[in-house]
This record gives sequence, C-alpha cells and structure tokens, in this order.
Amino acid sequence: MERLTPTKQRTRARAEGPAVREKFLLFRVGDELYGMGLQGLREVLLPDGLTALPTPAYQVCAAVTYRGRRLPVIRMRALFEGSPADIPVTARVLLTQGQGRAIGLLVDEVLEMTEVEPTRIAPLPGLATLLDPMCFRGLYTRRDRVILLVNEDGLTRLDEVVQFYATGDGSGQSP
Amino acid sequence: MTQPSTILSDVAQGEASVLMFLLAGRQFAVDLNRVQHILDYQAPTRTPRRPRFVEGIMQHNGRFLPVVSLRKRLGVEEPPPLHPAILLLSGIARDSVVGVMVDQVLRVVSLPLEKVLAPPPRILGIRAEFIRGVANVGGRPLVWLDEVQLMTSDEPISLLG
Repeated sequence: MERLTPTKQRTRARAEGPAVREKFLLFRVGDELYGMGLQGLREVLLPDGLTALPTPAYQVCAAVTYRGRRLPVIRMRALFEGSPADIPVTARVLLTQGQGRAIGLLVDEVLEMTEVEPTRIAPLPGLATLLDPMCFRGLYTRRDRVILLVNEDGLTRLDEVVQFYATGDGSGQSP
Repeated sequence: MTQPSTILSDVAQGEASVLMFLLAGRQFAVDLNRVQHILDYQAPTRTPRRPRFVEGIMQHNGRFLPVVSLRKRLGVEEPPPLHPAILLLSGIARDSVVGVMVDQVLRVVSLPLEKVLAPPPRILGIRAEFIRGVANVGGRPLVWLDEVQLMTSDEPISLLG
C-alpha cells in the first residue's frame, strides 16, 4: 500500500475535492418515505386548487392552474398504491419539471431537505415494482430507513402525463 | 414413474443437496447451491405497485434485495407465522440475489438421485413446470421447487391443502 506524506495527502485531497452531494426533498406517501431532487423543484403549493380530470382517462392525474397554465398533477398515492385516497391536511403539491415539462406531485407530507452522495444511491431491484423503472433514480438508507428517490424525467413519461400534454387540457380531446 | 435424466442434469455425483423448509405445513426444498444466507425475518420496506407476491425490499450487507413471499407466490391466503425466515437465493431473475420468505427452515439433506422422482403434471396444485422433483423424506413428500421458474413466471398458483 502506498504511504503518503502529510504534504502528499493534502495535495491529493485538494485534487480529489470534497465529495459532491446532491440535495433532495424528502416526502411521505402512505407509510413510506421518498425523495426528489431539488434541481427541478419550482414551488411547493397547498392542494387547494386541485381539480379532477375526466375519468376513466385519468386514474392518477389531477390538474392545477399555476401562473395561468394548467398543469398535470400526479396523485402519488394513486400511482404508488393504485387506489384513490383522501387528501390529508398535510398534503402538498411539489411543482417540478422533467424533460422540459412541468408536473406536480401530490404527496401526503413534505418532510425535510437532505443531501446525499451519489455513490450511496443504489439501483432499485428489478422485482421491486411493476412501475416503469425510469420513475425512480434509485434508493438509499437514512437512519435505517430505505428511501426511494423518484425521477422527475421518468414521471413525465407516464401515459397520463403524455396524454395531458397531447390534449392540451386533459379533456381527452386533441386541441 | 420414470425419471427423465434432464431434470437432474446439473446434479453431480448421484445426489443433490437441497435446503428443506416448511410452508403452510408442507415440506418444500430449493437447490442448496442457490442459498447464500438464511436470515431472521426483518420487515421489508414496501415498494410502490409491487408484484402481488413481492413484500418489498430489504438491505443486507450494503445491498438492496427484493423480498418475495413464497406463501403469496403459491397462492396461500393465510398470513405467515410470526417469525418466518428469509432465504437469500442467488441467480434468479434480473436481481443477483432475492430474499424468499418461508415459514420455517428445517435442514439440509442430500437426496440420492434414484430417490428423486419427476413430478406428475400437477402436485399440491403446482404445475410440474415449477417443480424439479419429488422425494419422500421422513415418510412425508418433499417437493423440490424450481425457484427460477417460480420467480420469473406470472402464472397464478393455488397451493392445495
């Protein structure tokens, strides 16, 4: 093993630089914790202005008007658990964007911000979910809890989001 | 019943080592070569929209593994015992290691090949495709499962009591 003098150690540390950490916003959906990268996050809204979309075309998405634009909002409980759920008082809409498209994520509760070294993020096991694996960045552990990190780019590729943008307002009709 | 040589073609020296376990009161086994560890039960983290028989994921030695309930895979409705065991099996599906929940680990046994029979078309409600062989151990039937077929197929199974 190479033995480094203190001077060499300092030189190497400067060259390698501090470990790059990525910031995530942690939130709760049901009983589990999730995280989303802060890079695309624009705003956190109360879910007051949420409106339903015509079903059965939209099982997962609702809509919200933000600065005069109507945006799709993914109800994460419906996406993750497959059933509609009441909106708790702690619920919030995370406005973010992926693939150049703005989307909202309706979550049960926003918890806190955290930083994660990318090397600590592991891929999601293949059998873990039937959802498109692109919906997840991966997972990591924090205080002995496993936290799944969602991928905004993958979420904007969900059929309902694509359909929302194709029809312009979620009416199911082409503009 | 004849024994097709292909069933046991990967077994050397005339006998096969299997790990025996209990599930819903029945004796089952998996290939010992696939068993990496046997763990006490720890509640997995639930993952969204998981397959019906997947309980979630767990961490072991810094790796994240999917955890499968063999009860659910075999269509057993009753809940598992309070302290099931988790077998870590390698070489299954897309994941390098998969955790498989069973009711109780019994023992490792070496099965002489001549005592292992090809399964009938269906045994205990399980099609032969999911079974590597059947033997008699301790006066009771032992069903040697094909763990790869079980985990990579979506075909529903209903274990008969």
